[in-house]
Amino acid sequence: MSCSGGPPPAALSTSGPVLLAGRLEEVPLEVLRQRESKWLDMLNNWDKWMAKKHKKLPTILKQAGPAQHWQRGWARELLVWTHGHSRPFDFQIRLRCQKGIPPSLRGRAWQYLSGGKVKLQQNPGKFDELDMSPGDPKWLDVIERDLHRQFPFHEMFVSRGGHGALCASCAHTHPSFPEQELDMSPGDPKWLDVIERDLHRQFPFHEMFVSRGGHGQQDLFRVLKAYTLYRPEEGYCQAQAPIAAVLLMHMPAEQAFWCLVQICEKYLPGYYSEKLEAIQLDGEILFSLLQKVSPVAHKHLSRQKIDPLLYMTEWFMCAFARTLPWSSVLRVWDMFFCEGVKIIFRVGLVLLKHALGSPDKLKACQGQYETIERLRSLSPKIMQEAFLVQEVVELPVTERQIEREHLIQLRRWQETRGELQCRSPPRLHGAKAILEAEPGPRPALQPSPSIRLPPDAPLPVSKAKAKPPKQVQKEQRKPSKASGQPDQPLTPNQAAVVTAAGDACPPQDVPSEDPAPQDLTSQDSAHHHSRESLTSQESEDTYL
Amino acid sequence: MASATDSRYGQKESSDQNFDYMFKILIIGNSSVGKTSFLFRYADDSFTPAFVSTVGIDFKVKTIYRNDKRIKLQIWDTAGQERYRTITTAYYRGAMGFILMYDITNEESFNAVQDWSTQIKTYSWDNAQVLLVGNKCDMEDERVVSSERGRQLADHLGFEFFEASAKDNINVKQTFERLVDVICEKMSESLDTADPAVTGAKQDPTFF
Repeated sequence: MSCSGGPPPAALSTSGPVLLAGRLEEVPLEVLRQRESKWLDMLNNWDKWMAKKHKKLPTILKQAGPAQHWQRGWARELLVWTHGHSRPFDFQIRLRCQKGIPPSLRGRAWQYLSGGKVKLQQNPGKFDELDMSPGDPKWLDVIERDLHRQFPFHEMFVSRGGHGALCASCAHTHPSFPEQELDMSPGDPKWLDVIERDLHRQFPFHEMFVSRGGHGQQDLFRVLKAYTLYRPEEGYCQAQAPIAAVLLMHMPAEQAFWCLVQICEKYLPGYYSEKLEAIQLDGEILFSLLQKVSPVAHKHLSRQKIDPLLYMTEWFMCAFARTLPWSSVLRVWDMFFCEGVKIIFRVGLVLLKHALGSPDKLKACQGQYETIERLRSLSPKIMQEAFLVQEVVELPVTERQIEREHLIQLRRWQETRGELQCRSPPRLHGAKAILEAEPGPRPALQPSPSIRLPPDAPLPVSKAKAKPPKQVQKEQRKPSKASGQPDQPLTPNQAAVVTAAGDACPPQDVPSEDPAPQDLTSQDSAHHHSRESLTSQESEDTYL
Repeated sequence: MASATDSRYGQKESSDQNFDYMFKILIIGNSSVGKTSFLFRYADDSFTPAFVSTVGIDFKVKTIYRNDKRIKLQIWDTAGQERYRTITTAYYRGAMGFILMYDITNEESFNAVQDWSTQIKTYSWDNAQVLLVGNKCDMEDERVVSSERGRQLADHLGFEFFEASAKDNINVKQTFERLVDVICEKMSESLDTADPAVTGAKQDPTFF
């Protein structure tokens, strides 16, 4: 909407744990590295983690064997769970999503959580087919005109105190301003120039991030166009573009497409459909839930007759991608992919509660305009990552409450406005629900997590090369296992190995997991020098 | 925007009825004709090519002095995509003026003017005043809709007509001021009866 509504995809999005530790969370580096290796392990054994029938889990543990590299901590958790039935696995996944998915694995985690990965495997070649189709001109024109209007953050950053570094790093990860698309973007070249000159100066230790050129608006176009072909009756809704843009910052176009499909059909069905009935209904649900969460804010908003659509349309339709600071967006999306729309409701409720939840806060919001202005320029304090996530996690608003309220509001809608014109499928509350709704057995996920090394670095192309670090890691894990202190931070030496696995090339993945081992050398050099879009054959991880 | 985000401004606004009239104005038109830019140019005197596409509906307030009156303008910016109409047309009610905008470099946006005009007639009250604005007149090289066609259409629809540029700040202020004048004229014509919709009551029910 306005400038102030634009999201600042800050440096934090690309900075990884290092910067996060120093600036925001104060989580020790070792812990972050540990989290990363736990996530890596979890993703490489995703099916087992998400297994429906918990009874089978002990067998899995037996089957796991040394080759599976179960993390010590999780092996223990598993035992606790099988014996004590205390902590089901989806609880663990939820907890980890709440803590934040490590940036290097976020893209893959989102694909796995949303079921986008499953969809992709079920529909091989589908995206390419859609991609090749010409598409309906009526949508293409609208999409085309939206390509550069997703995250025009750069001017905002520069003019508000000159955070040039932030500016550059967002562009660096941001698909909307790739250098090859300059001619398509009406953006002021002087900013793009500033950005370009900083691109290689942000994270020199993450070489793989630096050399990804050439995707961006083009990919955004492909993804959105593919959706209009995939669901011609739905077409394109403008709020889909920021969603797709955020996805594209984390994964290639094909993966982003299937994640978008999942969001539009499973997480937020009907949000982008003709008539926008679902979002209007959710506005009513949000407002009703607010009565319990913050009676003061609820009373204030109803007294001023402020329609929920005035403040929540953009919040919900863009899943806060244009509202919150970038680091908070990512944390919210981590939880959203895991737990579903409940998270969106909770974030909305937390923001309302803290913006308007006390008589003191309302003093400066006597008029409707002042109130809406307050909601449009929210205090940075309440949007700050750690605070917001904590509040969201603790807010007792459940799926059941939302569903109950949904029925109430739906009935009210039918009484006053008649039947809904667009029948949307029921929404699924998160990763577990989506998985369980998948019809019949499906083939196991085929992870292709081959995080690439920069061209100059030695490439673990063969098993022989990959083995040494694997063995080192295994050996290093053994003593801790024996000591029975799985959560103990790794020694610097161990941490270095784990980081290498998370950031560069996880050795355990290369020999066994990759279903179609590719010639990494040739492909790598190809995409490092290519200005073309990424393909799905490439890395799932560290897509920044 | 500085004044609006300033809490003192809010206090002032809410403590005294610091205006004689309050006019609700909507800016409508196809997607990406420049509605948000136009509003930002007027309210903040700023322009950036980097606006995001509007999702939903938004508004700004600006108080001006016109004909010895303090007039508080509440200007609503709407999402242009057809899909959002179910949401945005709800806000047509009670609007005293519309700025119906097209992009002089985009034929389709011009062709849609008739349709937007119908929307106004359907969802707003009869006395609502409309100005037709052809935006982006700085982009003469890419012009596809001539001024003449714009004027003809405006005449046909009974609207006043401006070509403007939010980018180069051409005719932006003039557009709003003319709309305000037209509304004032209409008001004095039909007034005496003190139409509650145009008085500055804070809890004006026509607000939403």
